[in-house]
Amino acid sequence: MKWEEIPSHLVELGIKFGATDVAANLIELDQTMIRFSNNEVTASKNFHEVMINVFVMIEKQRAGSTFSILSSKALERAMKKLVEMAKVSPPADVYAPLPKGPFKYDPALLRSPRVSSDPNELVNYVREAIGGASKSGAKRVAGSLTLTNASMVLETSSQASAVQRRSSLEMSVRAFVSEVASGHSLSIAQSKRDFEPAEAGRRAGEIAKMALNPREGQSGSYTALLGPMVFAHFVNQVGVQSSAFMVDAGQSFLIDKLDSRVASDKFTLIDDPTLMGTYGMRAFDDEGVPTKRNIIVEKGILKTYLHNSTTAKKFGAETTANAGLIMPTPWNLVVEPGEKPFEETLSEIDDGIYVTNNWYLRYQNYQKGDFSTIPRDGMFQIKNGQIANPVRDLRISDNMLKIFQNVRELSKERLWIKWWEVPIPTLAPYAIVEDLNFTKSTM
Amino acid sequence: MEDLTRLALKTAEELGATYAEARFQSDIRESIVLKNGVPEVSVIEELKGFNVRAVFKKSLGFSSTNIISKRTAKDAARRAVNIAKAASNAIRKGVSMNEEKLGEGKVEIKPRIRFDHIDLDSKIQLLKEADKAAEQSANEAKAKLPARMFTLDTITTEKIIVNSDGAHISSIIPRAALAAFLTAYHPQKGSAQRFFNLGEAAGWEAVEKWNLPKLLGEEAQSLSKTLMEAHSPLEGEMDVVLGPEVVGIVCHESCGHPAEADRILGREAAQAGETYLNMDSLGMRVGSSVVNVVDDPTLPGSFGFYMYDEEGVKAGKRVLIKEGVANEFLHNRETASVFGVQSNAASRSVAYDREPIIRMANTFLEPGDYSKEELIEGVKHGVYIKNFMEWNIDDRRFHERYVGLEAYRIENGEPKERVRNPVLEITTVGLWSAMDAVGKDLEFQAAYCGKGDPMQGIPVWTGGPHARLRKIRLGGVQA
Repeated sequence: MKWEEIPSHLVELGIKFGATDVAANLIELDQTMIRFSNNEVTASKNFHEVMINVFVMIEKQRAGSTFSILSSKALERAMKKLVEMAKVSPPADVYAPLPKGPFKYDPALLRSPRVSSDPNELVNYVREAIGGASKSGAKRVAGSLTLTNASMVLETSSQASAVQRRSSLEMSVRAFVSEVASGHSLSIAQSKRDFEPAEAGRRAGEIAKMALNPREGQSGSYTALLGPMVFAHFVNQVGVQSSAFMVDAGQSFLIDKLDSRVASDKFTLIDDPTLMGTYGMRAFDDEGVPTKRNIIVEKGILKTYLHNSTTAKKFGAETTANAGLIMPTPWNLVVEPGEKPFEETLSEIDDGIYVTNNWYLRYQNYQKGDFSTIPRDGMFQIKNGQIANPVRDLRISDNMLKIFQNVRELSKERLWIKWWEVPIPTLAPYAIVEDLNFTKSTM
Repeated sequence: MEDLTRLALKTAEELGATYAEARFQSDIRESIVLKNGVPEVSVIEELKGFNVRAVFKKSLGFSSTNIISKRTAKDAARRAVNIAKAASNAIRKGVSMNEEKLGEGKVEIKPRIRFDHIDLDSKIQLLKEADKAAEQSANEAKAKLPARMFTLDTITTEKIIVNSDGAHISSIIPRAALAAFLTAYHPQKGSAQRFFNLGEAAGWEAVEKWNLPKLLGEEAQSLSKTLMEAHSPLEGEMDVVLGPEVVGIVCHESCGHPAEADRILGREAAQAGETYLNMDSLGMRVGSSVVNVVDDPTLPGSFGFYMYDEEGVKAGKRVLIKEGVANEFLHNRETASVFGVQSNAASRSVAYDREPIIRMANTFLEPGDYSKEELIEGVKHGVYIKNFMEWNIDDRRFHERYVGLEAYRIENGEPKERVRNPVLEITTVGLWSAMDAVGKDLEFQAAYCGKGDPMQGIPVWTGGPHARLRKIRLGGVQA
């Protein structure tokens, strides 16, 4: 049997063994990652795998499985076991049949051009990133380059049938001028045309150079200018916690906030997997429903949670084509830009702090949105509308809802962000946030 | 599978690798999720495959696949060597594997109660019983538990490791794990949340020992009381007694991570970051003389258990801080070669498709002589922080924050009322230096430590006894 025929075969087997609904997908992944630090390559990795995911329902009874390519007999055994598992599972609270196909998909969303995985070419991208940072003054450069070519074949018992081919390039580069003066930047793209490793290196190096000799920061409440990496990290929190699953699990500050104000009127957030040529482009969700542009927050008002068919039924809503068979998830987050360029937004801050990157975000209480996170890489005082001296050793300790409600301005410029700390690709501007609370170690 | 790993190894060597290793790994996981008393889904995950690591002209290549055949074994070796070759002209210092005495043999934990002897319904009923107990306890404390989620995993990991320097290890390790998330709520008091993990390298007997209905009942009761009764947060200078859960996370974040030699060398700089320690830091005082922090992969039943690492080096106890002085770093064979020391077997990987890198296993503060009561008796004005929710640390592992959840004010040697969210925001050396007394108890918590790119969440234990800190200035009021 050819690999691409396996999902439809599994659907047939599932129905034969007594399932009411079956969704099966097969993902073939060919991924190469080159990691580097101290201006040299430290490890080069290639991953090749074919993974099968199957989800079955016998109305309210559900079971799922993930496994590798197996022989025909073993596939049959695996499906029999899975349906048996569903049969002995106690029922869930709702049964939503898989959405009825067949569906029509936008052909342009089904395929992005395959990116060459020639290792020599990839090593050259790494050289470009290191070179870009070094030219800006970096002494040490570290990071990772990831190239992905993947295809997904999806079949469901409700006549959804589709094949998606996706390719992408990611460069994450961190430049150091001293042990405590660093900058980080990224380039993510669907194709070589939009991939700018040297530019990412240059930006990282520039921030690192500006960050040399930081002073100890003072805790307090400041007008903050958040760079796109920081704002994208916060926007990811809104995107992920708008998943109806997270709302139901109590792990969201958006509980009971539908049609309420959750941000200032400057903030509009869209999940748009239909955006052509972008990293997070996607034609269908894991239930086979054609993806669409969903406005999550419009001028500060929460308009929808993200749904699959099960959470939609539970919440009395329609699917938003964000399945995840268990958990709905955002695909490609876009923040609407502001009207002013970065320089102008900066010039409006008399006394503030500019944060270029952050990491390690943890909640005290998801439902309230109380959290803290740590700025890393260049952080600067802003005095009279200009970037002044670099500062260090501060922590953002605040509340996520308060932060979004205090967004005063967004920049015209936006950058695509996805890296180790920001899993959902996000097109993010610079953001001015009023009264952001910074704390620091007391001893 | 043995033949295929050997074939991959031989192929890599024939293609010019100066060092090669092949690892087969199978992780079979069964998960059940109970959300708000309702079973979400039952999942079986079978992740099986193998990988090859090869060094060519000091350049390190790695390849993995889950398509298991002679052809793919050779192909994986070819891909690992080819990618190492392509990168070899972007190498300056490059990679060397330190000479070590390598192991041969089999490690197996035989479960007393096999996972497949417990049917799905019994597992779900157990979680439902625990869920009911939690709800009941919350009700007794006059709160509600509107959001509960429990994930129960049983995992069996099988590995075969061979390398060109003669290692040949096979292992079978079962693990049981629970992740629990609770939200207590009261219309006038708002909400409080608690997340914790349990985990052991053992069969179903571990889950039976946990007594989940009793445990979840106690957890829900305590969380509800915190919500209903806790007074305003404390501020200012005072003594602090930390519970084992807090001591454990401190050991992990501000002792284990800084001691990872790959961080010292900058290899994780763009992801998990670096460390305030450097190659010359051994012998530096980082805490008071009562501080002894160790990491021991060989603790029987521990969540981070192993006897040989992924490079075939035999594991043992690592003494990271000895009497307050930085004593030992965590090494694999690559960093050992740079530092001129022997590897202490810290090379771990979470799956067949992940590169082995330096990881902790079970990191904890070694017990001292005090009972918990004695630690508290010695405090005139202070706080006892039993557990925590929010925490983080900067990427040089020097500025950290732990926000208490269940916490009590201490006055004249006695615990008093509950207090809300005391904030310990402090430096690594500041914290360890303020420790004046260590309890004689010892408790462990399970966790998944995140590091590497692609990310690897690896099972660990964090732990320790109760411990006391003197003259701590607690952090400010939360926003």
